[in-house]
Amino acid sequence: MNRLWETLIKAFSWACGIILLGAISCIIGYLFMKGAGVIRLDLIFGDTPPLDAILLKRQVLDGLFPAMAGTFFLVCFSVFTALPLGLAAGIYMSEYAGGSIRRVFSFSFDILAGIPSIVIGLFGFSIAVFLHRHFSDRIFPCLLISGLSLAFLVLPYIIRTTQLSLETLPARTRLTALALGATRFQNIRYVLVPQSLSGILSGVVLAVGRCAEDTAVIMLTGAVAMAGVPQSLLSSYEALPFYIYYISSQYTNPHELATGYGASIILLGICTFLFLAAFMIQKGLARRALYYP
Amino acid sequence: MPCTTHETMKENHIKIKVRSLDFWYQNRQILEHVSLDFTRHTITAIVGPSGTGKSTFLTTLNRLWENIPDAQMKGRVEIEFDGTFRDIYARSFSLTQLRRSVGMVFQTPNPLSMSIYKNVAFPLKLAGYKNRKEVGNKVEKALKQAYLWEEVKDRLHEKASCLSGGQQQRLCIARALILEPEVLLLDEPTSSLDQNAGRIIETLLLDLRERCTIIIVSHYLDQVGRIADTVMEFPLKS
Amino acid sequence: MNRQFEKTAEMVLFLPALLSVILTLAIFVFMLVFGLPLMKGGRFFELITGSWSPGHGMYGIQPMIMGTMAIASLSVFFAFPLSMGCASLISVLAPRGFSTFLRHTVRLMTGVPTVIYGFVGIFLLVPIIRELFQNGSGFCILSASLMLALLISPTMILVFMESFDRVPKSYLDAADALGGTPVQKLVYVIIPQARQGIWMGVILSMGRSLGDTLIALMLAGNAIATPGSVLDSVRTLTAHIALVIASDYESLEFKSVFACGLILYGFNALIIVMLRYVESKGTQ
Repeated sequence: MNRLWETLIKAFSWACGIILLGAISCIIGYLFMKGAGVIRLDLIFGDTPPLDAILLKRQVLDGLFPAMAGTFFLVCFSVFTALPLGLAAGIYMSEYAGGSIRRVFSFSFDILAGIPSIVIGLFGFSIAVFLHRHFSDRIFPCLLISGLSLAFLVLPYIIRTTQLSLETLPARTRLTALALGATRFQNIRYVLVPQSLSGILSGVVLAVGRCAEDTAVIMLTGAVAMAGVPQSLLSSYEALPFYIYYISSQYTNPHELATGYGASIILLGICTFLFLAAFMIQKGLARRALYYP
Repeated sequence: MPCTTHETMKENHIKIKVRSLDFWYQNRQILEHVSLDFTRHTITAIVGPSGTGKSTFLTTLNRLWENIPDAQMKGRVEIEFDGTFRDIYARSFSLTQLRRSVGMVFQTPNPLSMSIYKNVAFPLKLAGYKNRKEVGNKVEKALKQAYLWEEVKDRLHEKASCLSGGQQQRLCIARALILEPEVLLLDEPTSSLDQNAGRIIETLLLDLRERCTIIIVSHYLDQVGRIADTVMEFPLKS
Repeated sequence: MNRQFEKTAEMVLFLPALLSVILTLAIFVFMLVFGLPLMKGGRFFELITGSWSPGHGMYGIQPMIMGTMAIASLSVFFAFPLSMGCASLISVLAPRGFSTFLRHTVRLMTGVPTVIYGFVGIFLLVPIIRELFQNGSGFCILSASLMLALLISPTMILVFMESFDRVPKSYLDAADALGGTPVQKLVYVIIPQARQGIWMGVILSMGRSLGDTLIALMLAGNAIATPGSVLDSVRTLTAHIALVIASDYESLEFKSVFACGLILYGFNALIIVMLRYVESKGTQ
């Protein structure tokens, strides 16, 4: 290889790095340039006193509070639905499944993890239609349906992180309790799960982020532009990412557009925070692993 | 017979009988036709070059190999409990009971990430002991047997990972002793420790001979000379 | 009692796993059952090759399939060299400090919400494309695939990087001992060794861009037409689902979204099978 080629490859790589960094800083910089001015408390609460809004005493009409509350309820509902199922399935995959069951199950979890979120949304929507026709005509796309669909979306992530953090435990840790007379389940309960907790937890935090940012699922299953703070599981609701999508095509004045930028910054902040939190938890795991001989 | 025993033994002193044991790992034969007897209340040292299946052999005595993927075993292992020899691979034999009667200590100390006290009490928790006072007494007794009580009695609720390597290994021995096992398996217990810490454990093992039958895998011939009553040499497979 | 408890515990853990498998199948079955009216009588082929003209009773989704293919392949085409460059920079060429910085940035980028890429794309990228080419509205294949390339690059870079870092150190030492420069090490040792990881990264990102909704929906213009150039506006399968869902769900137009769903499901299954295939070839 001659010198020229080497120099070219080097230059190309550096150019790629600079393009990537440039592009992402352009996006974030642009967002802040346009939206930093509106990041004030009234972006979230409008004219309503914050405490009254949080205690649900008064409706917030021109702020992001209902959308944030909607996203919050949505995330809580879907993560708490997906968590027990995902944990159990992940533990089963890592500790019990063998042979052909293992192969078939892990293939199907791979498929589930890869299904585009819009298809999951469509599935949720058709469940709503199905329930509406056959059970109760009071059921429409709503918080419940969205929450369930999002739970389906993150279920494979939780299964996989649980399975992975259990499977990567060193053989020594695995055998310790068994050598002391633990049964298979005692070993899982007292040693394996506690030892892999931070790995599992960081996976869960990432799943929370995934729920908070997903737009495709909720736009098919009940998110709307104006609904106020959700009153029940069967009502439609607002959500931060849907609000951003909605504003991008339906804004009528510069003020609304600026609110869209503000909402983007808030969503970006939430996701970055969750991401860093997951990272810290993982780091904590690594540090503990150093001390744990 | 691939293994040689340096001592003759009488049937009524035998604790463990191993008969024509074969062992494969990933289709590679590690142990071939091993037949051995182990005498009660003695320290038997297993020596030999690495790769001859010494550690593997230990795991056939408490069936721990069954948790290692791609391993396979054939043969018969009998251990004497309450005066009769029991086939430990028989279906009717409880695996957890076996592991409680045959303790094991590993090459590197492996305390769990909990307090010193909880580590030692852990096997009791697994066995379903509820009485706090009884647990406390047993923990103290086990720690004393393992020569660790004096060093840790004031900080029982600190993390076990704060202890030195030698202390951690004695903690693991205490943990293995708390269920009063009749057999104790040790897989190079001093190889990750400095000489002093190793010496303490050697003295401790000599003391423990009164209570259980000890089988130790060791690389150090001088150590074997100091503590072993019987030496078995695992030769390289042909 | 102990044995009974162990059995129960295993059962309690098994059922959620089974439920998740059933869910995977249920999604497929729902798409199939709801989309059936359009596909009856062997019209499935007609559906995926026909054109879209509801006025004439034609609900063919061929334009959307073409749109999806165009945007996904173009975005991988953009993202691949970018990711190769960045991964090489991080794993081999850059000094340690910068490499760590870039690595963390790339990780963090995977957490940026898709809708934000779309939002900024509308107000920043689309006008630029419009001005640059003086052709149409700027909502086109090119805008969508550029943004999508940025979205999938971090994943691709991370997969590449991991496969670069997995190259055994002894190989690298051999190259160093022969007096190889970092670039030579990269080109002659690392990249050939990491071929499997590179394939996996590309396939994985292809899957992501086939399944992405928001960027295509917000930036590609959503016109139902078979694309002729990268400056044409198209509608992807995913965007079609999002746009049609608001209509009456008894109509045939509505049924076509389930056909889109089925095809996306099929794409995904294909991607997974390909990933598995590449993975198994690597371990042999």
